[in-house]
Amino acid sequence: MQLKPKAPRPTPANARRRLIAASCALLGAAARSQQANVAPADSGLLEDWSVDSALAYYHEDGRILAIEPVVNLAKVFADGQSLNFNGTFDSLSGSSPNGALTSHTAQTFASPSGKAKHAYTTAPGQLPVDPNYQDTRIAVGGNWTLPFTRVDQLSVGAKVSDEHDFFSVTVNASIAHDFNEKNTTLSFGISNEFDSLSPIGGAPVPGSDYALSQKNAGKTKDGVGALIGVTQVMTRNWLTEFNVSVDRFKGYLNDPYKITSIIDSAGNTTGYEFESRPDQRTRKSAYWENRVGWNQQLSTALSLRYMTDDWGVRSDTAQLHLRWTLSNRDRYIEPTLRWYRQTAADFYTPFILSATVPTTGFESSDSRLGAFHALTYGLKYAQKLPGLGSRAESEFSVRAEYYQQTFNERIATPAALQGLDLYPGLKAILVQVGWRF
Amino acid sequence: MKSKHLSFLFLVCSAAIASGCTSLGVKPWQRDVLAREEMQLGADPVDAAIDDHMYFSKEASSGGRSFAGGGCGCN
Amino acid sequence: MAGKASNAPDEALRVEVRGENLLAVCFTAMASPCETLLSSTVDAAALELGTLVAQEAWRVEKKFSRYRNDSVTAWIHENRGTRIEVDEETASLIDFASQCFDLSDGLFDITSGVLRYAWKFDGSDRIPEAAAIRHLLPLVGFEKLEWQSPRLLLPAGMELDFGGIGKEYAVDRAYDLLAARRSAPFLVNFGGDLRANRSPSHGPWQVGIERPDTDRTAKMILDLEHGALATSGDSRRYLLKDGVRYGHILDPRTGWPVWHAPRSVTVAASSCTEAGLLSTLALLHGARAREYLEEQGVRYWLLQ
Repeated sequence: MQLKPKAPRPTPANARRRLIAASCALLGAAARSQQANVAPADSGLLEDWSVDSALAYYHEDGRILAIEPVVNLAKVFADGQSLNFNGTFDSLSGSSPNGALTSHTAQTFASPSGKAKHAYTTAPGQLPVDPNYQDTRIAVGGNWTLPFTRVDQLSVGAKVSDEHDFFSVTVNASIAHDFNEKNTTLSFGISNEFDSLSPIGGAPVPGSDYALSQKNAGKTKDGVGALIGVTQVMTRNWLTEFNVSVDRFKGYLNDPYKITSIIDSAGNTTGYEFESRPDQRTRKSAYWENRVGWNQQLSTALSLRYMTDDWGVRSDTAQLHLRWTLSNRDRYIEPTLRWYRQTAADFYTPFILSATVPTTGFESSDSRLGAFHALTYGLKYAQKLPGLGSRAESEFSVRAEYYQQTFNERIATPAALQGLDLYPGLKAILVQVGWRF
Repeated sequence: MKSKHLSFLFLVCSAAIASGCTSLGVKPWQRDVLAREEMQLGADPVDAAIDDHMYFSKEASSGGRSFAGGGCGCN
Repeated sequence: MAGKASNAPDEALRVEVRGENLLAVCFTAMASPCETLLSSTVDAAALELGTLVAQEAWRVEKKFSRYRNDSVTAWIHENRGTRIEVDEETASLIDFASQCFDLSDGLFDITSGVLRYAWKFDGSDRIPEAAAIRHLLPLVGFEKLEWQSPRLLLPAGMELDFGGIGKEYAVDRAYDLLAARRSAPFLVNFGGDLRANRSPSHGPWQVGIERPDTDRTAKMILDLEHGALATSGDSRRYLLKDGVRYGHILDPRTGWPVWHAPRSVTVAASSCTEAGLLSTLALLHGARAREYLEEQGVRYWLLQ
């Protein structure tokens, strides 16, 4: 939960150390506003919306290309209330793996739409991907934070996301309480998500034969989540946050476009079936973030996350942001390193052997449920510029990230499939330009 | 410098364990460092949203910092 | 800032040679002689840095002077009774003043300036009527203003005066400007409040502190390697009645001068703001000044 402790009035005692601190705070603040303007501030300043916008370009090698403009508007009112609106537009195109296994022979797939012109054939040795993948998504959200005592605040929010085959509404509410001179913040929040799926061509019956194309009309899923967080100021330059959360999703949790190859003992693909995931999933996670300001130039944000769910997925995430503020405080660079590792879901399988019956009755070849580790390397450069109109400053930034997944757990495969890259992994780049004013 | 910081961290950690939250923290006028933009939790909401969306659509985990779920048909 | 009722600071700079490899760039700001001492033999380089310091001093004076009608202080006074939003620098000064008020139990109060209307420290015997003080006291008290950075509401009749911290703050600001550009020894001195980065090669800085109301030329000489010194005193401003000397240090809680305040207190600290505040607070502790300074564990020089 992201809450910023504020300063209450102190009580007098032991003045010396406080004087030093107060002087340092004054001079520190002065250093920040190096060329502080002589003119009195425009009293309408706070009434303005601050805008944080970005345009992201995401490219997965040989597959998906996405353009994603994002805008975030925030306004703080004089009485401490704040409003926040955000909007995202996502435009994806390219090809998406359909879950089938790479094979020595060419494979032909019908399009989910059922249209003959969208049927596609995958060459031998190639990972089957649906080349007609195209999607646009519009998401808008809002959040309202209301301090109702000096140390308590309530926050409510809602988000709506729309795609041609997916519609989602999420609402959340949280309450936060400050104590210990606002050095400690406890928060509790709940969230509720309602999704409705209307896949092209219908929602397949889980585990049914691909060739029979047994499909139903739209499906739904919904989720509830709860989160408890503690934010603690540890020292003058160290802030820590610890969250635990649990969420539970129920309903149609399958990816309607994912199929799994059925192969015989010789390694020949004899057919496909639609994936079949359980109809509920409970996830628990623990998250710990530390922000430390080492000196005037350098600060770090380190976050660690452990997540586990009842599908058998466990994951560890460690992310480090390093912010290096350059000499005159109008520029900074921010290198990022993220390491992620997950175990496979119990029912993950890259293929089904026609001789065996899946023991759980569930199966998915969706690589996102497989065992892999991923690394992200990122670098951001930001430049502060004079503000527009009454604003003090604006910030222009460029950011690039390289994301790579490597699969580390391999299932014994029939000899005939040896030599094929059944776990191609993923390489993606993200380039983003941002403008904040 | 580095080892000094580390031993400092260790000291503060032990202090935290020994005496609980109430002895931690700073006085209101010692918030000069904590007031810096980069010291705020969720300092870059847009960057975080774009990253979260990417990871949500490529991995089996989401949430932690805030609620899980993505409101996206991509996973 | 203690300043003359002049709207245009005297913006003249003068370079003086103070010794081998030591130049001083002198100017006047905040009604005080100011100087930047630099280990340098190059006039042009010294003048460039000295100009930077002088401009910062003039900027701070111009911005916060209560004697100028285009200052932020004047603007705040014009907007008494309405909620206004001040710029970041002003906000940080008010924050600082707020903290000083709290931790000095109300002894340090930037709203105490209105007491000037009753007290005219001109060396005469015109002690104000107690009624006049009582009349002004409701207008004193930092707790009476609404302050939630950066929003301020100054009630009608009240005043803010940054004079008690402005000069020392200006020294630190100027110091930071120089420190960012120069590692060779320098010292910034605004009317006796000063700060140095390090000793010149031939030994520590020799700082002369004026001894009040004795022979003006007699100075106490202190050695300073680095850090700041600030001096507060009531040397030249007082009232004398029935043999009782009323110094110009007023207790904002009573509206009356602090009794038995030292004539002058000089404090050494790492920043000039801190040194200035400690010396002012020491004076405000009156007879307990020495005790107070001992408690704080600072280096000090006290003249009774």
